[in-house]
Amino acid sequence: MNNQDRLDRDTGLKVVLQELEENPYRKFRIAFALMSIIPFLVFFYLLVSRLFTMEILASDIGVILSIAIFISVCGFFVGYSIIKNILRKIILYAVQAKHSDQLKSTFVATVSHELKNPLSAIKTNLFNIMAGLVGSVNEEQKKILQLCDNIIERMKHLVNDLLDLHKIEAGMVDVKRKLCNLLEVLEKQIKEFEAMLNKKRIKFIKDILDQDLSIWADEDKIMLVINNLLSNAIKYTPEEGLVTLKIYPADEYIKLEFLDTAQSIPSDKLEKIFDKFERLDITKEGTGLGLAITKDIVEMHKGRIWVESQSDRGNKFVVVLPRDLRETKR
Amino acid sequence: MEEKKPKKILIIEDEQELISSLTTLFKSQGYLTLAAYDGLYGISLAHEEKVDLVILDLGLPAGGGLYVLENLKQSVKTNSIPVLILTARQEKELEEKAYQMGVEAYLYKPFDPKELLDKIKEILK
Repeated sequence: MNNQDRLDRDTGLKVVLQELEENPYRKFRIAFALMSIIPFLVFFYLLVSRLFTMEILASDIGVILSIAIFISVCGFFVGYSIIKNILRKIILYAVQAKHSDQLKSTFVATVSHELKNPLSAIKTNLFNIMAGLVGSVNEEQKKILQLCDNIIERMKHLVNDLLDLHKIEAGMVDVKRKLCNLLEVLEKQIKEFEAMLNKKRIKFIKDILDQDLSIWADEDKIMLVINNLLSNAIKYTPEEGLVTLKIYPADEYIKLEFLDTAQSIPSDKLEKIFDKFERLDITKEGTGLGLAITKDIVEMHKGRIWVESQSDRGNKFVVVLPRDLRETKR
Repeated sequence: MEEKKPKKILIIEDEQELISSLTTLFKSQGYLTLAAYDGLYGISLAHEEKVDLVILDLGLPAGGGLYVLENLKQSVKTNSIPVLILTARQEKELEEKAYQMGVEAYLYKPFDPKELLDKIKEILK
């Protein structure tokens, strides 16, 4: 460890001790002194009761008392030194964790700035060329430029997904729970996919009973979960296929099922499908991060998500969300 | 018949390539553009020049975007200039704060240039 590292560590240690607003070393010293006091109390009792004589000291009790006092003194110093070292390690760990959190925040800010800004410039320049603002463009050139624009869009999604996932995994995202109506959230999302459903002539069945679908959740994040699962179901379902959404509300939880008629996910991939960059079909658009983000959000809500593959064709993604978790701190 | 005066847009942005592409885009729509690469220069330009709209980035050197926004909104000379935020920071709290401080629109980078033009047209209507 070089001098600068040592200096940073010691400064960090001081900062953490200041934040604790009390010195844990001092508290431990007092606790150990109290724990070691018993043999001294016995000795003191013998003295005040005038029971203490030189004979006692020479007897078995005297020897035992002397050993006890010796052990208590040694115990104080050895025990305190052990606890002090453990405590120092815990505090140092906290210092490192704090430092690492700062690094993570810097990473997010840097990625946002260093990737999104050049992407904006490329996208605007492409738009300028395609719109003929800097000279005429023929149809063939337009097609190529459009292709470049599609790639930029994909990069944009990848950067956003990476940032979202990083923020969730670094604990930088809070669940802001409020009472929301899941039905309204679902309706909003379904509307967004109408064009995509029509384009692929996919039949969409919404199996929702007229029941209470209120839930304490972070509406924006739950919207993202529904968006990701619906988008995947539609993306992987072939033309003229079927996508079904079923909802089973219970007292304590709400269960959502997203059924598609896409190719069945092989059984050995059912668990892996929620891993980062795991994609079944790389020809389909996507970053391979959507399901990882979805799983993280469901788990942030103390819910569960899994996928069941139908034997012939189709898959069923199941999400179970507790209705009320206001008391649970993440 | 009196000729309509072109609207003047001030771009406060530290990415030079983006400024150059935005300038081409805005010129094509008949807007005049001014550019500042940092916050403090942006504030002084907003005070000196009569601008109709400020396009403001939040991650700026020499006075971050929020500082610039606060300064523009507090000064009598500049508080009526509409501000459109163009930022890479996709944070809801930040967006809400910017709206509370009086911005007209808030777009995330990388933005859709057509959407940006539509917003500008709407603001300058």
